[in-house]
Amino acid sequence: MVTLSAQHLVKRYGGVVALADGNLEVQSGQVVALIGANGSGKSTLSKIITGVVAPNEGQLLLDGQSVSFSSPLAARQKGITAVYQELSLVPEMSISENIWLSHEPMRYGVRLDRKAMQKRAQELLDLFKGTIPASLTPTTPVYDLTPDERQIVEILKAISQDPQLVIFDEATASLDSAQVTRLFELIEDWKSAGMAIVFVSHRMDEIFRVADQATVLRNGSHVGTVDIAATSERQLVQMMIEGAAALEREAREPVAAGAPIRLDVRDLTTEKLRGVSFDLRDGELLGIGGLQGQGQSDLLLAIFGAIPFQGALTLSGRRVHFSHPRQAMKQDVAFVPGDRGNEGLLLIRSILDNLMLPSLREFGTPLRMQRARSEAGAVSDDLSLVMASLDAPVNSLSGGNAQKVVIGKWLLRDPKLLLLNDPTKGVDVGAKGEFYKLLADLRHQGTAILFYSSDDEELLGLCDRVLVMHDGRISAELAGENVTRENLVAASMGATHHDASHHKEEPTA
Amino acid sequence: MTTAKAKRGSFVPNFTSRLTPPLIALILAIVLFLLGGVISPGFVNANQAINIVRLAAFLGIIAAGQTLVIISGGEGIDLSVASVVTLGAILTFRLTDGQDALILPVLGLVMLVGAGIGLVNGLGIVFLRIPPLVMTLAMAGVVQGVILQVTRGELEGETPDLMRTLIAQPLIGPIPGVIFLWIGLGIAMWLLLERTPYGKMLFAVGINRTTAMLSGVRVPLVVVLTYAMSGMLAAFGGFVLLGFTDIVFLNLGGRYLFPSIAAVVVGGTLLSGGKGSYWGTMSGALVLQLINSLLQAQGLPEATQSIILGVVLLVLISIYGRQRAFRL
Repeated sequence: MVTLSAQHLVKRYGGVVALADGNLEVQSGQVVALIGANGSGKSTLSKIITGVVAPNEGQLLLDGQSVSFSSPLAARQKGITAVYQELSLVPEMSISENIWLSHEPMRYGVRLDRKAMQKRAQELLDLFKGTIPASLTPTTPVYDLTPDERQIVEILKAISQDPQLVIFDEATASLDSAQVTRLFELIEDWKSAGMAIVFVSHRMDEIFRVADQATVLRNGSHVGTVDIAATSERQLVQMMIEGAAALEREAREPVAAGAPIRLDVRDLTTEKLRGVSFDLRDGELLGIGGLQGQGQSDLLLAIFGAIPFQGALTLSGRRVHFSHPRQAMKQDVAFVPGDRGNEGLLLIRSILDNLMLPSLREFGTPLRMQRARSEAGAVSDDLSLVMASLDAPVNSLSGGNAQKVVIGKWLLRDPKLLLLNDPTKGVDVGAKGEFYKLLADLRHQGTAILFYSSDDEELLGLCDRVLVMHDGRISAELAGENVTRENLVAASMGATHHDASHHKEEPTA
Repeated sequence: MTTAKAKRGSFVPNFTSRLTPPLIALILAIVLFLLGGVISPGFVNANQAINIVRLAAFLGIIAAGQTLVIISGGEGIDLSVASVVTLGAILTFRLTDGQDALILPVLGLVMLVGAGIGLVNGLGIVFLRIPPLVMTLAMAGVVQGVILQVTRGELEGETPDLMRTLIAQPLIGPIPGVIFLWIGLGIAMWLLLERTPYGKMLFAVGINRTTAMLSGVRVPLVVVLTYAMSGMLAAFGGFVLLGFTDIVFLNLGGRYLFPSIAAVVVGGTLLSGGKGSYWGTMSGALVLQLINSLLQAQGLPEATQSIILGVVLLVLISIYGRQRAFRL
């Protein structure tokens, strides 16, 4: 049995208070969800518990005894460990070596017991059997793994230490729903074996599925702890948001009848896509769902001309075949990538430079900086971008504001077709709400939007029509009242939906 | 440039955060100059200053293309500059054969040849995916070989008088033309990097090629263009250098290879790309030239000079490393 109690923890970084009053109670056989908007202090609280940072004030009680950890290793020796979203794996090493890094099983206390390492690693991998490819073995190098597989190795690494308390910090963000389901089954097992679990997540549905209690932080302070069984999603959101201004999702609405077809896709094929066909009308918000890595990114990238493809694309009645994003951009197509830091932004450049980047040619030579500045200023006002100035580097912004820059740079071009690749990943609730509002505004202006999201709630709440992808194909097209969680999940798992339309008809050439 | 500007907008207007590498290099140049006066009286005077800037100008002009290539990232470096400088000088020497009237057409041809060599570098790097270090090193060998093959070591020709007058001799007051040329190039390079779509795209390509591509930048085009420009500027550097040396020899540009990279780095341009400025390179060229002149004034042996130069570079770069920890 283990009980951990964090009491009135305070952490300051210089003049910034990251955690003003952190409280958390968790004990064996319990899952406590730690929730709050970005910047509410939940990461700092987790880091104090796992010994990554030391608190300025307050105390940490382990089984009633006051403890303070000087390092993550010290916390680990007390049976406390964490699974982070930022991965700590060494790409050049194998799965087994990563799992056992720094607590390798030894033979005679000196030599690595490789056999035991591999055997135990295989047992750990088997926990996720069926949700990861069978080709994964303990000797597979980590650089060969996809992000979700890496995340699983990260989880196994924590579990291999036989911890008493595990903090899952956004550990499900890159997992697909089958993997999440498996993880939750495992969490149930670990719970009954006496493990204490803290679960940090942005995803409301997961919290309701896995947690017994929820502890809510807001602006670094503890707001309250509630029993999940007796609480509604709405109540939790209200606890997270100041002034209890709960977010109203934009009601989903069907596209205006007779709106012209902006994009028509026939038999689109790439390395991952195996013949995808659909159309998209002006003013429509068409969702793309499914498990991660089923070809959704390929679909968006191919339309944008960023990867080679076969098939027929018709944009506003004209056949097109873009071989570079530049060509797509000339036809008013815009693409918002999912990975802000690696695909969307130039982190060390200014906000202005980032906003200007897709439109440089439009500002002429020499660049008309005055005009660029006023246009960029207008867009950042529209998006209520919180920044020191347009000249501040974009890495000085918070996650939500940085994402606004990624979208803002395309708004400068006034796109007619907007491709979104999981744009709200890792964005806090408040910024998500603003983003949904923006999407609604764009729709009303007639922008056609193709919206891939790994968050099923988003698709269910925003889209009147959802294409569900599985294994490079559209496994179901859900529309109107068929857009339900059951249908979405069933189609994601590859189940054949009764009215799944594969668009078998050939284009009349 | 941009850093200085970006800093203005940040909340912490403290001194250290404004002390960017190009500024450090410039301050260091001034300090070195004054130090020279302390060590050897008579070092600090107008003529000496002009002479040092004049010598730095040749290095600075040759390092201009190197600056662009290094900013372009992807382990970008141009080791063929030295050979192209030599080729540019030899071509000018031979083709003008001392005739003033031929200067301009020959200059045009020389820059075209340089651009052509750079173009091949760029194409090899982008389309054959040859690492820049290997590609440009091989190109250096090829160019050197062609020079030997064609001239067979016999360098005939003459430097036109007008070039000497315009480049090396005092033009306005005591200041030689090459200094004006260098200042003009400085302004042109600033415009190119900060006020043209190409310049902004070059930084984007240097920082993150995926972001650049997904923002509509034709990355291969920008990279190829950059290497072509480096070749062109190196050839131009050879042309200018001839106005100073008057004669050519087979290894004329050789001693500029290492300094052309060092000047860029001392000027605060990141070897990993995406961040830098030409005015930094100009400051870097001044620093290198000053160290050189100071050590020579001391009458130190060549080997000692080279050791001191190396140590100074290491110290500078490690200071810049610390600077970056302040989130530059």
